[in-house]
Amino acid sequence: MTDAVVFENVSKRFRGGQAYRALRDDIVGALGRVVGLKRGSEQVVRALDDVSFSIPEGQSFALLGPNGAGKTTALKVASRITYPTSGRVRVRGRVGALIEVGTGMHPELTGRENVDLYGRILGLSRRDVRSRFDEIVEFADIGGALEQPVKQFSSGMQLRLGFALAAHLEPDVLLVDEAIAVGDAGFQYRCVERMRELVQEGRTLVFVSHNMSAIESLCERGVLLDHGRITADGPARDVVRDYLRQVEASLVEEDAARSVTGGGLAIVDVTLHDESGGRVEEAAPGRPLTVRLHFHASSPIDEPIFEVGLNDGRIGPFALASMLIDGQAPRSISGEGYVDCTFADLPLLPRVYELWGGVRHGAGFGDLVDWQRLRFFRVAGEVDGGGPAAVSHSLSNAPVRLPYRWGFGGGVSN
Amino acid sequence: MPVLEVVGGPGRLSRESFAELWHFREVLWAFVVRQVKVRYKQAVVGIGWAIIQPVLAALVFALFLFRYSSVPSEGVPALLFTLAGMTGWTYFSSATALASESLVTNQALLRKIYFPREVLPLSGALAGVLDLLLALGVLVVVTFAYGIGPALSWVALPLPLLLLVVAAAAFGNGLSAINVYYRDVRYALPFVLQLGLFVSPIAYPLSVVPSSWRTIYAILNPVAAATDSLRRIVVHGHWPDFPVLLASIGWSLFLLLCSYAFFKRLERGFSDRV
Repeated sequence: MTDAVVFENVSKRFRGGQAYRALRDDIVGALGRVVGLKRGSEQVVRALDDVSFSIPEGQSFALLGPNGAGKTTALKVASRITYPTSGRVRVRGRVGALIEVGTGMHPELTGRENVDLYGRILGLSRRDVRSRFDEIVEFADIGGALEQPVKQFSSGMQLRLGFALAAHLEPDVLLVDEAIAVGDAGFQYRCVERMRELVQEGRTLVFVSHNMSAIESLCERGVLLDHGRITADGPARDVVRDYLRQVEASLVEEDAARSVTGGGLAIVDVTLHDESGGRVEEAAPGRPLTVRLHFHASSPIDEPIFEVGLNDGRIGPFALASMLIDGQAPRSISGEGYVDCTFADLPLLPRVYELWGGVRHGAGFGDLVDWQRLRFFRVAGEVDGGGPAAVSHSLSNAPVRLPYRWGFGGGVSN
Repeated sequence: MPVLEVVGGPGRLSRESFAELWHFREVLWAFVVRQVKVRYKQAVVGIGWAIIQPVLAALVFALFLFRYSSVPSEGVPALLFTLAGMTGWTYFSSATALASESLVTNQALLRKIYFPREVLPLSGALAGVLDLLLALGVLVVVTFAYGIGPALSWVALPLPLLLLVVAAAAFGNGLSAINVYYRDVRYALPFVLQLGLFVSPIAYPLSVVPSSWRTIYAILNPVAAATDSLRRIVVHGHWPDFPVLLASIGWSLFLLLCSYAFFKRLERGFSDRV
């Protein structure tokens, strides 16, 4: 099978600093170098660093990675909006690209003129463009604004027209960046549907997104970029899993247990323990977990109210253990010691969670130690169902695992 | 299926550049039409500006230079003489300015879609041709008004016009590329063009230049050759000085080729630097 897109040792370097220079600065710089006063010390940013991959025709391909990894640069290089500093790029066939809002559109031209212009740039005949015209207008849903300059469009309209242009003028290779995430849910759904259609017709798709579920369900293959280098290449699902694990790991690493203080009380460490009391770094799903808050009280404190919460990144804890509710505050604490909070049979999906905690005064409930994140912890294990987005969906959605089963009544064929 | 291959490093002018430009000729045309429309859409006088500019400038020159000084006007009415000069000059200066700003003005486009970038400055140079033709029409009308009729030599008119377009494209192309990197161009160009007006035989005849220098000066300064030819053809009803005119066209084509090569060398950095 032939390759639609080939990157061979592609590097792209940007010179840092301001976007454009005044002649004066260059003259001063050149003189400085000649006289030996100052070395050329411009900062060089490597957006892509010796990147090689090839995408066979008809493959649906995803580029993943954190912001600044080089994903968008790779798309821009493939669509010749920017050029590689070194290496070789080969693209077979017509390229439709939606890289940013407004990609491919001239702000001064009307919607109709833009459809024409884009078609011409892609090398389509007027007749081909005309035959696709209604389809584009319908998809973009811009009806009455067709004769207005694109600069007067709302960003949503620009986005819709941009995608419609890229995806409906017979592209052999479709490049889509996360720009579509700006659209509303209905539009995003139509975009994904259109991309799926194109893939089924045998077109090649290169998709960049932070929407892991979309990648997992749409793409066969994924490449993970980090600081302009490829760090993983394989089936999209595996790469999504690698990437999410990597994100979790970096969270846990950058923010291990820290000591927090306030009002004469310090929580100096937070440790996790299994049912036998042994210290653990990961929690086992479905087993008890003990959170141990090690404190240091410089003077005796009466009736301190301890609280521990679990959070999965959304606002507020999804589980809370609070002495304000259960009334089990100790009469007094002083010196060094610890408080244990044991959650029975942790019904959580395997991923990383935040552990929050705080301590209040018994009288008036004012904060001794502010309610805050104390550490991250991971629930061990792997989820891998057979669903189209099993990995990404279970790693980013509701955390609590309740046993469930589906049942079907009339009108369901199975 | 077309295969596109890009190898890293600076770009260069090659046979493919010309083939690609030809392939994108419709896009070039679309930009030309667009620029003409945009330029006059929001102006009250509209296309009238194409006429007002050269006529007013010619009036001013005719009034001050010929009434209060002793510059010769080749024995024709002063207004006719300066109008013939301003017709070519107005086109050359505005087309050069438009072309040299074209990449910066269209930076949103540079960052969002691919097409050979020279399409922008070239369309800038071509967009002014409509103005040039209108101004030429005015010149012809004024010529008739002075009782001077058409002559056979008028068939040579396309040559000086071509020379002006080639020269504006050559300068506009190169300057637009430099403008991406050094915005100084924006500030320096009006000043340089102003100097150009006085360095070219617009408000004075070519014969003012010492005869030993005249030929080489008229060839190297395409505006001089074009202006002198325009005057000879329309105002005097003579044939232009063909050796000088053709040599100047050749020289301008050479300049255009050089500036095209220069442009292609810098082209790949445009979207990153603009």
